[in-house]
This record gives sequence, C-alpha cells and structure tokens, in this order.
Amino acid sequence: MSGRSKKFEPRIVALYCANALDPEADLAAAVKAAEGFAVRPVALPCSSKAELSHLMKLLAEGADAVQVIACPEGSCQFLVGSARAEKRVQRGRALLMQIGMGEERLGLARGRGLKVEELMALLERRAGLVRGLGKNPISGEEEK
Amino acid sequence: MIVAEWKPMPELLERMRGVKKLLLVGCATCVAECAAGGEREVETLAPLLRMAAAKQGGALEVITKTLERQCEWEFVEELAKLTPAADAVLSLACGIGVQALAERFPQLPVYPGVNTTALSIREKPGLWTARCAACGDCVLGDTFGLCPVARCAKSLLNGPCGGTRKNGKCEVDENTECVWTLIFERARQRGQLEVLLKVRKPKNWSRSGHGGPGRIDREDLRV
Repeated sequence: MSGRSKKFEPRIVALYCANALDPEADLAAAVKAAEGFAVRPVALPCSSKAELSHLMKLLAEGADAVQVIACPEGSCQFLVGSARAEKRVQRGRALLMQIGMGEERLGLARGRGLKVEELMALLERRAGLVRGLGKNPISGEEEK
Repeated sequence: MIVAEWKPMPELLERMRGVKKLLLVGCATCVAECAAGGEREVETLAPLLRMAAAKQGGALEVITKTLERQCEWEFVEELAKLTPAADAVLSLACGIGVQALAERFPQLPVYPGVNTTALSIREKPGLWTARCAACGDCVLGDTFGLCPVARCAKSLLNGPCGGTRKNGKCEVDENTECVWTLIFERARQRGQLEVLLKVRKPKNWSRSGHGGPGRIDREDLRV
C-alpha cells in the first residue's frame, strides 16, 4: 500500500544518447530541481549501448522506472542504434508484463538536441505512468 | 547450431516457486549464438527472476555463471564450487547441457530454462530455420545439398508432395519454403534435372531416433 502513497516519488534512471540532448543543456540543475520524482541521468554514446540485461538489472537494483532516450528514426549516427534500442525496450516491456511488474516501468522516447525542459517533461510523464504501478516491489525491504 | 528459445515466463516462475537460492547457468556456445542461453541472456533472466520473486512477496538469490560449454565435463566441473550454495539449478543450455548438469550434480534439481528446438542456421538476424535432423544417414549428396528430412514437413525423399503452394511455399506453413521446389530449382540451375527422375530408396531410419538412442563408439579415441 505504501507504494501508492502520496509520498511515492519514483526513482527513474534516464539512459540518454548524448546526441539526443542539447549539448548546452544544464541537466544537473534540472535533475536537482525535479519535483515529485528523482532522476539518475546516464549519458550514452548511443542508445544501443544499453543492453536488455542492463535495463533489467537497473530495475532489479531498485529503480522504479528506466527511460531510454534515443535519436529519431533515420538520424542515428550509428544508423541502426536507436532502432536496436527500441527493439530491446519492446522485448523488455513484454518480459516485465509477463512477470507482472508492469510494462510502463520501461519506456523509450525519441528526440534530438532536446532542450532540458523537454527531457524533464518526458521523465515527468514516465513518473506519472509509474505512480500508477506503485513502488518497485524489489525495493520494498529498504523502504521499510 | 543447436537452437533454443526461452520457456514462457509463467512456466519458469512456477518452477522457481519455493526456490531461495538459484544457480542460473548459461552456455557460451550454440545457445549463445541464438540469443537464448548465453551470458547476455543469463544476465537478463536473473534480474527478471529476482523481480518476479519480489513481486510475489518473496526473495530469490540468483547466482549466475556461464560456462564455455555445458556439454563437456571439464567445463561443467567449474560449477562444483557454486552448487553447495544453491538449492536448485536453472540451465539455459540445450537439453544436452541440462542433462550433463543433472548427471554431475544429482543432489540438486536441475531445470531447463529453454526449449531446444532444432539444428538450424541463422538466415538473418533473429531468424533461425532448421537445416538438419541428425538422422544418421545423410542424403544431402542426392538432393543437391538441401535436406528433405529436416526441411520437408513430411520428410519426403521423393518429393514434392501435392501441397506445394503456387508461390513455392509449404502447405503446412506459408513462411516455409517447399524444400522440394528448392531442390528442383537447384537441379535445373545445374542442368541435372534428370537426377530427380531417379527414385530414392527407403532410408535407413534405424540410424535416427527411430532406432533407439544414438551412439557413436570410437574405441580408437580412448587410451
């Protein structure tokens, strides 16, 4: 029940392609200012560097959600990197569904040169989806 | 290569019911190539099982290990130092690997994490199709290098049957090529259509699974 309390602030890991974010963006300040959810941003040289095992491990280590941010279709510098990332996220969501964790704990959004406000809006949306699912059950022990 | 695919998650979770410490073992050979049981898959399944256990209100400790080959005793022995800490083993290897672990560690329940499906080739990323049935009496020399035993739904030695679709696909599965159409086309390319007029005699099926468990005994390799 505590997982759905008003105090529940989802912990989100944001795995973003370095090209998807505006290089001038002050992400650190935005993360610090986030309200209602906590973000752990991780820059990747390409969204395809995130293997399915990484996504699952992040959730199993207690993240309430993982948000992958990839470049738009056709603009990936590695040509098929963002497409690979999308396929992995799709499979991950299906697996999460099968074990009853809720597919919305994992998601992918696309963007290039995103302003920090746009990125935070994506994460806010993910946080909203996860609030409906409640806290990650695997983090229950440490929250008691 | 031997190909396999994950068992459905509900089946795996049912097997894990009551298990507290699991040894999850991958195999870095065939099942790694077909993305079913290599290190990546082991490290993907382990957190999933842990999360599923937590979701059900329990806790599951998962020890992971990927062997170079689960079908070789020398590699299997690497698990000896890990098994005392586990109360069950889940193997992502083919059926050979699962049986090797069960034979070496009879005190532990060893469960298969994958369904072994065929001896296949990777046609393109993510698509594996059967190429060999390990029938023990290879006919590829008579069929232009295309196996009717593994690739014909009826394993016909004198095909095609009457069910080939107009587009050359098998009547059993619209995504599967009729191998006898492929054999015909290859014979035509080589200008050897007359070879197909020859009636191939009944095959010796006793050398396949029909003759009991297979066995190759090479005394010359033992000292």
